[in-house]
Amino acid sequence: MVNFTVDEIRVMMDKKRNIRNMSVIAHVDHGKSTLTDSLVSKAGIIASAKAGETRFTDTRKDEQERCITIKSTAISMFFELEDRDLVFITNPDQRDKGEKGFLINLIDSPGHVDFSSEVTAALRVTDGALVVVDCVSGVCVQTETVLRQAIAERIKPVLFMNKMDRALLELQLESEELYQTFQRIVENVNVIIATYSDDSGPMGEVRVDPSKGSVGFGSGLHGWAFTLKQFAEMYAEKFKIDVVKLMKRLWGENFFNPKTKKWSKQKEDDNKRSFCMYVLDPIYKVFDSIMNYKKEEAASLLQKLNIELKPEDRDKDGKALLKVVMRTWLPAGEALLQMIAIHLPSPVVAQKYRMEMLYEGPLDDEAAIGVKNCDPNAPLMMYISKMVPTSDKGRFYAFGRVFSGKVATGMKARIMGPNYVPGKKEDLYEKAIQRTILMMGRYVEAIEDVPSGNICGLVGVDQFLVKTGTITTFKDAHNMRVMKFSVSPVVRVAVEPKNPADLPKLVEGLKRLAKSDPMVQCIIEESGEHIIAGAGELHLEICLKDLEEDHACIPLKKSDPVVSYRETVSEESDQMCLSKSPNKHNRLFMKAQPMPDGLAEDIDSGEVNPRDEFKARARYLGEKYEYDVTEARKIWAFGPDGTGPNLLLDCTKGVQYLNEIKDSVVAGFQWATKEGVLAEENMRAVRFNIYDVTLHTDAIHRGGGQIIPTTRRCLYACVLTAQPRLMEPVYLCEIQCPEVAVGGIYGVLNRRRGHVFEEMQVAGTPMFVVKAYLPVNESFGFTADLRSNTGGQAFPQCVFDHWQVLPGDPLDSSTKPYVVVQETRKRKGLKEGLPDLTQYLDKL
Amino acid sequence: MFYVIGLGLGGAEDITVRGFEIVKKAERVYLEAYTSILTVGKEELEQFYGRSLIVADRDLVEQGADEILQDATSKDIAFLVVGDPFGATTHTDLVLRAREAGVSYKIIHNASIMNAVGCCGLQLYNFGETVSIPYWTESWQPDSFYDKIFGNRRRGLHTLCLLDIRVKEPTLESLTKKEKEYQPPHFMSVSEAAGQLLEIIRRKDGEYKELAYTNSTLCVGLARVGSDTQQILACTLQEMKDIHLGPPLHSLVITGHLHPLEVEYLTQFSDSKEKLLLVAQT
Repeated sequence: MVNFTVDEIRVMMDKKRNIRNMSVIAHVDHGKSTLTDSLVSKAGIIASAKAGETRFTDTRKDEQERCITIKSTAISMFFELEDRDLVFITNPDQRDKGEKGFLINLIDSPGHVDFSSEVTAALRVTDGALVVVDCVSGVCVQTETVLRQAIAERIKPVLFMNKMDRALLELQLESEELYQTFQRIVENVNVIIATYSDDSGPMGEVRVDPSKGSVGFGSGLHGWAFTLKQFAEMYAEKFKIDVVKLMKRLWGENFFNPKTKKWSKQKEDDNKRSFCMYVLDPIYKVFDSIMNYKKEEAASLLQKLNIELKPEDRDKDGKALLKVVMRTWLPAGEALLQMIAIHLPSPVVAQKYRMEMLYEGPLDDEAAIGVKNCDPNAPLMMYISKMVPTSDKGRFYAFGRVFSGKVATGMKARIMGPNYVPGKKEDLYEKAIQRTILMMGRYVEAIEDVPSGNICGLVGVDQFLVKTGTITTFKDAHNMRVMKFSVSPVVRVAVEPKNPADLPKLVEGLKRLAKSDPMVQCIIEESGEHIIAGAGELHLEICLKDLEEDHACIPLKKSDPVVSYRETVSEESDQMCLSKSPNKHNRLFMKAQPMPDGLAEDIDSGEVNPRDEFKARARYLGEKYEYDVTEARKIWAFGPDGTGPNLLLDCTKGVQYLNEIKDSVVAGFQWATKEGVLAEENMRAVRFNIYDVTLHTDAIHRGGGQIIPTTRRCLYACVLTAQPRLMEPVYLCEIQCPEVAVGGIYGVLNRRRGHVFEEMQVAGTPMFVVKAYLPVNESFGFTADLRSNTGGQAFPQCVFDHWQVLPGDPLDSSTKPYVVVQETRKRKGLKEGLPDLTQYLDKL
Repeated sequence: MFYVIGLGLGGAEDITVRGFEIVKKAERVYLEAYTSILTVGKEELEQFYGRSLIVADRDLVEQGADEILQDATSKDIAFLVVGDPFGATTHTDLVLRAREAGVSYKIIHNASIMNAVGCCGLQLYNFGETVSIPYWTESWQPDSFYDKIFGNRRRGLHTLCLLDIRVKEPTLESLTKKEKEYQPPHFMSVSEAAGQLLEIIRRKDGEYKELAYTNSTLCVGLARVGSDTQQILACTLQEMKDIHLGPPLHSLVITGHLHPLEVEYLTQFSDSKEKLLLVAQT
């Protein structure tokens, strides 16, 4: 299959069992995009010769220059399995009878942690993931982050060990050492998988296993790859052993004695590990003969391996020849595409177990059943996971996955934003889909319609959605669940146009920026400041560049980056806090107390969430956090935004009309937790208890206007009397460097309040990995600082890890938190000085 | 001295002579303009009193007591309230604040809807607890006043329902922001009130054996009581839903046990005497 047309793809789209939607995920620089190129070259969009140099999926100029992927990109590919490979697909839902071809929709996503929101968006629309690990560096922090996310979204992984060429050429590892390295990586990956899922779960076995063929090895750069299946096939005839059985023999504790021709389970003097003997040795030999210019040996080897070189390649030598030989012998595309087709689930298989995670509505309504069965004749259910800028400035393609039904050019559909509530009209539009399109790397192609199980783009939807949303034709459909990001926008800058007259352009540009990035937040402070919040320095840098050059097209003034803080309490309120409503007829009595360690994180991760069945949740809180179960049953709200890590509990006894003011109290709670009393930062890990309420007998005198502001005042008083504290975000920082540079790293970290908690050598390499916690506030310029102090040898990756209390009382003017509060207040245009308790606390 | 002066229900002339004298000589005069409205505006009052008034909105009354009471120890400050100072309104807090501040006060009474409702012929002695019916929003639909109507009706008492008025209320969205946006003024009509009352029994039907009232319960709608354009109408709750009594303010009475004299008096407010008698019997 060299070329495929849109019509041919459209035919494949109906064969939903032969579709594989997959993302490629990995740590930065582990070679995803290069690897993806070899897949694409196999599927025929760019010429094979250029694989490894083109970075097909890096469509932006800055991506090509920086050699990192910033935005995720989708490509469709077509691949046919041969008859002998088809037997490996046993599940009838994994292949249409009589169809050998597979349509593979691949999304290449960024590896840098700052862009992991792109990964999140990619995972949502795919069912499987090719996890790429650099076999020299092993499993890194971002591998772990994205893998964890993939498992949580019920995405099935396969593993690829990349950069084998480096292991052989640069590190010159012995074959047994290399096996051990592989073994360790497989184990590490499986440990992560096992932590977040188990084999008896709805997805079945998730673990990766080389002997089953779900682990690939090779070099994306050189364009070669294999799984044990390839080697087992080569030997199957010779040994007269079935391929599947042989694959098992080729991994793990299996040793062969060539003299006695006996297999053994233990290492003995004259036997050798089968993986080394049958898989690695031939590769080593090829490398050795070619790189050491042993021409004759090489020639005989090529003959043995049935490798025929093209006439123009015969004159090459050294690395260039090695590339050609390896690529001809073990073509990467072939091995990887086989692995993908055989081991990753089809939409039919995946949507069965993913539906309950994806759909917010009842699990037995028409939409749910349609998604579960991946039924193209059911009502349309499509999730838009991100917006992709078009060449037309300010317009976007809405990119997403059809889970049920068909989306077609010109059809009328309901466009529901994340705030849509069934039965209401907010965040809901009924509009025609202008055009459906296929997105393939740099190109888009119009297509008539797209059935369930496929990924596509829509034109004309962007103006109704901010970032994500659900498209449906089913009038009672609920939303598809919004994505949970693994990173938070903790770093922010303020921007303003250099020329004040350009302000409208800036506002418009910010709107576009907010659309084009899944996570960036563009906020207008009440002081009129325009704030952009992102995951880290690099993320912000890219956002600002986009804003300046593409979205607003005006010169900008940017403030220094600042971090977001959280407001919390460290003790229980030292008194019962009373606030009276403006008309003085309603009184609220409340207290604040800190949450036990871990609960806020449990809420962040969704372990404890507002949708839980309240009795089960109360039991969980009782068991794990020793909460009083009766009280825990009466959680009124999570906040801010209805889901945040603060709780409002009803601890009253027998108060009349309490339910009539509940909504107002909750609204006040959402408000107060969003804008805390110290510096209007979000609150975190605070539990508020309502102990008593006195109300006017007449409903009119206890409406929202009376109760909402009162609740806020009361909550503020609760915080101020409970030893308030500030929390700052902290990065987990992983730094790779040679041993000599370790000292320099410690110096830099110490100056920046960082603290190292792990230092280890990467087995089999001279590299060291240092793991440290680093306050985000101290991270600005960290990368540059680190490089200059280690002679450019240390590379950090920082990912948001947790919130940590900034020691000191923010109400005491000699402390650091006090300074932070004042700076923040000043920046936000709030009254300087400290909040005054008497403003919030009333006397009986 | 701090004077709280009732203005009565009708036009500018309804102020008592005693109140009028105080208004004329007071240092500052506040007009409370959010718990009720007169049929005439501030300008007309100023013309009639021959002096300027300060409009006191909810924020000023509830949060600016100090401002209102400033100098009240040495000077006379008047605070004008539509109806009676302690009628349907909630100004006890202001008086308490005056006391706290060492300001002596006087109350000048006037007619209130609480007693003027007698104009429909139902005896004031037979009224039970008064309730307010608030405007419902999508998410806030309190019906606790139903229980009070239930209690009143069970004891055979009439219920005076005061209907929500929104003169300058912030919108729900802007309540959690610093910049307040205000809703346009609106006033609940008897037909809107009847609609909400009917909705409540629709919800309670089937859940409870006995309902406080039914759609055929006799109700009295009153509009602009005390003014020249006063209108009164007696009909069933169901009919009340489609009645239009013109501009605000409206009040609604749900009758309890009716004395024959009350029925007779009500007939003048009904389009058909026979029908009213029939309704009154059931």
